[in-house]
Amino acid sequence: MTAVPTTSSGTSTRYDRLILPDRVHGSLYTDPAIFAEELAKIWHTTWVFVGHESEVPQPNDYVRKKLAMQDVVMTRDKDGEVHLLLNRCAHRGNQVCDDQKGNSSSFRCPYHGWTFRNTGELLGYPYNKGYGGKNKLELGMGRVPRVASYQGFVFGSFAADGPSLEEHLGAAAGEIDRLVGLSPEGSVSLTAGWLQHKTRANWKLLAENETDGYHPQFVHGSIFGVTGSPIGALYSDASTAVTRNLGGGHSENDLRPEFRGFDEPMRWFGTTPDRVPDYVARMEAAYGDDARRRLVEGAPHVMVFPNLFIAEIQVFNIQPVATGECVQYSTAVQLDGAPELNRRMVSQSIGSVGPAGMLLADDTEMYERNQRGVEALQPEWLEVSRGLVRERVDEDGFTIGAATDETGMRGFWKHYKSLMEA
Amino acid sequence: MTDPAIPDPSAGPQHDIVAGGSMRTGRFVVPGVGPVVESEFASVSVDLDHEGNSVRLRIEDLRTGRVRHLDALELEAVVWLPEGHLTQLLDPSSDRWRG
Amino acid sequence: MTETAAPLAASAATTARPSTEGAGPLGPVPDGWTRAEVEDFLYREARLADENEYDAWEALWTDDALYWVPAGGPGTDPLSEVSIIFDNRNRIATRMKQVRTGKRYAQAPPSHLRRVVGNVELLGGRPNHAGGVDLEVGANFLAVESKPRGNELWAGRTTYRLRRQPGPDGAAEIRLAFKKVVLVDNDKPVPTLAFLV
Repeated sequence: MTAVPTTSSGTSTRYDRLILPDRVHGSLYTDPAIFAEELAKIWHTTWVFVGHESEVPQPNDYVRKKLAMQDVVMTRDKDGEVHLLLNRCAHRGNQVCDDQKGNSSSFRCPYHGWTFRNTGELLGYPYNKGYGGKNKLELGMGRVPRVASYQGFVFGSFAADGPSLEEHLGAAAGEIDRLVGLSPEGSVSLTAGWLQHKTRANWKLLAENETDGYHPQFVHGSIFGVTGSPIGALYSDASTAVTRNLGGGHSENDLRPEFRGFDEPMRWFGTTPDRVPDYVARMEAAYGDDARRRLVEGAPHVMVFPNLFIAEIQVFNIQPVATGECVQYSTAVQLDGAPELNRRMVSQSIGSVGPAGMLLADDTEMYERNQRGVEALQPEWLEVSRGLVRERVDEDGFTIGAATDETGMRGFWKHYKSLMEA
Repeated sequence: MTDPAIPDPSAGPQHDIVAGGSMRTGRFVVPGVGPVVESEFASVSVDLDHEGNSVRLRIEDLRTGRVRHLDALELEAVVWLPEGHLTQLLDPSSDRWRG
Repeated sequence: MTETAAPLAASAATTARPSTEGAGPLGPVPDGWTRAEVEDFLYREARLADENEYDAWEALWTDDALYWVPAGGPGTDPLSEVSIIFDNRNRIATRMKQVRTGKRYAQAPPSHLRRVVGNVELLGGRPNHAGGVDLEVGANFLAVESKPRGNELWAGRTTYRLRRQPGPDGAAEIRLAFKKVVLVDNDKPVPTLAFLV
């Protein structure tokens, strides 16, 4: 592990010393005490992506999820409201739900038969005279205090108070809007199942990499080369794409300048309108003249702090496990009303992501080697300075850099620091 | 991120894919006792019984073997049960584990 | 783009698809197969995969090959749900080309591997789309993968479909038409799986 710098300079905080405008300290990725503090100040405080409403489509559907190392059950009650329950019986702390998913209005703990509504409320317990009769206990399953969704993406916050989900998402909400705007029905589903990729690296290495436009030509050169893929060029130094700090720790690789230059509908998806005629017709019916712009500009490539990554046609949910371990859950976006595209999104996702993915297995190899690297004592620091010399502010007031710049990482660290110092 | 140039297997020659089964999909039928309605919490078979002068629903708790028949009027009553009433029946102390 | 763009284009036009429901019951074990030659084939396939003999391993497959590693259970519909691997012959070729570049970092350096294949059963005959009948074989496997950062233990159930067809010299040889690998832990997070399972 890298040592934490101790040279204190007056009023500066610990994180002032670890996070500088152009570099961050290696201990941020290796120190178990920092990881514990992150759990409290980030994962158990801010809004964290959990899943999607489409995973519990029917009343009383439920699915088990991970939220900041907690085993939670995402339920939809009979009235349609979505809840996040901690999977723990109020009696003796036993795990209540064992199946990964199911449909039930209530859950019965297998240990002593305590029964809960899928809202978490205690419904009853066997042999109630032992407690003086029924309704004598004010106990329920634990609930994630705040649950909210945006365009069907469900987030939970363990903090009873704090910024609303909309405030947390800020400008990143517009990127989620861009994604659902590629559906003729204006909505997406995440119903293609989740690949679960165990990753022996600190979660922040992933969050930083997701909008790092510097690595694709190197890490993914092997697959781009053999398929003749046009993706690599989007991330070259000659690319007109930009890296944007969206604020709030969110960032994106905005590839639209490149696609606008080509002005070819569906190029972002590697196809042409004549191969997906029904989809194009439905988009035109839904959006009129604006359909063409949507089909030219394509899907977003955005990292939503701290754990939601939308990579054009895939959605990733990053969950921490330990200082040096996390899990990447990934699935294929399904655009409602676009069956022609959805099957290919599944196929392309299988080829690209997950433990055997021809792209993500190599990213993950880099995360794991990176974790080993930062454990070395010298030179202590990691650079995040690329592009500082050419950063500028766009017409909307966001800081942007070139396609290969570390503008997104700097935005991540600024927000991270503000939360850790709170 | 994706590489759209990766080949698409759904385009190729076809094979029969044998799917794995699960009782909880509701596609499981116990011979003689009918389809099974199941979750991780309970497992009940449902079938029509034609032995009486009118048809009845036969339901069996497969975990204990206990069987109940519900006639048309009883089933109608279940349909009209207020939600709160049904919830009370799910209290383990209400009937099965009294005391 | 290279020739790999072609299947992507073709996929838009095709309406045929593997069926999850349509797989009928297995027929009887087709005539002309001996357990010894089947086992020899499985062991050879395992050795080629263990030793990263990419060319020889790739040559085992038929043109209509399907290589499937489902996720989240025994496997449902690979066209509507994500799998760890779902490769047709063309995608197998792409995967092999990628690893041969030497820059498929998840497999560079290659893993050191040894697997044991056992519990081999000749399960029956499965009609194929070429009008013949493939021999369906089931087996268990246990593999140790050694990588620079540690060892992984892998285990699962493999279903093979074998076909006899003329080889380059005209003599009949056994080829692999289908391989489905159900990892025992595919419902949990699994580490990078970049070797030939």
